[in-house]
Amino acid sequence: MDEVFKALADPSRRSLLDRLHARGGQTLNELCEGLAMTRQAVTKHLAILEDANLVSTIRHGREKLHYLNPVPIHQIGERWIKKFERAKLVALGELKRRLEQEES
Amino acid sequence: MDIAKFKPAIVYTIYIASTPEKVWQALTSAEFSRQYFFGNSVEVDLRVGGAYIVRTPDGGVHISGEVIECDPPRKLTVTFNVNWPELVEKLGPTLVTYEIEQAGEAVRLTLLQSQDRELGDDILSGGRQGWPAILSSLKSLLETGSAMTIPMKPPERMLAALKAMGIKTP
Repeated sequence: MDEVFKALADPSRRSLLDRLHARGGQTLNELCEGLAMTRQAVTKHLAILEDANLVSTIRHGREKLHYLNPVPIHQIGERWIKKFERAKLVALGELKRRLEQEES
Repeated sequence: MDIAKFKPAIVYTIYIASTPEKVWQALTSAEFSRQYFFGNSVEVDLRVGGAYIVRTPDGGVHISGEVIECDPPRKLTVTFNVNWPELVEKLGPTLVTYEIEQAGEAVRLTLLQSQDRELGDDILSGGRQGWPAILSSLKSLLETGSAMTIPMKPPERMLAALKAMGIKTP
């Protein structure tokens, strides 16, 4: 679990996860597009995310595709969120989302 | 069906302190699956073309499909179609692949959910919510002997999106 927190502690890595959350199955080239990071930096961050099991990769033809793997984050949730709190948390999250949407 | 046309929409990985044989057994046996798969039981005829069925606790058919690839204890690919009226017609078939690899002392289990077309986030939210819970519960079962009970209902946004497409949901 330490490596999950370490991997998540970096804003560049969180932004890579955001990009994969928005669209799964991207190649390294696609992930680099429009980012102010060098290709080498993206490669390095992806390796750290992969080691922490936050990113899964597959070979699809000649391409390597990256996917967000939320399983470790789910396990963190299971550790600290009780069974009966989940529905309330979902409701709170939904409330926050709607209120913030109205504002923007 | 041409499986080359399918692209994974979801790729989830979990490490389990177990053996490939035990993970395979857990994925393919009714008795095991009832414990980690929201009470649903997997019934599978383990040969290419064999039937793959997931039954709800009351015995109804929830998912029906067939075995596409079967390489015990390494790889199982099945069609995985939720048995709601018009769902397959409107969304196309779903493929589920389990890949089991030894990773040091542990087993790396990778789940792929693939489609032959782009599905929206609302439709995919069902799998995105359900699979991490199923995989975590399977891990607990194999590592500790007891599964986690994670209560879960299909996400509202998925049900609304299906309804908007004219797919009847229970």
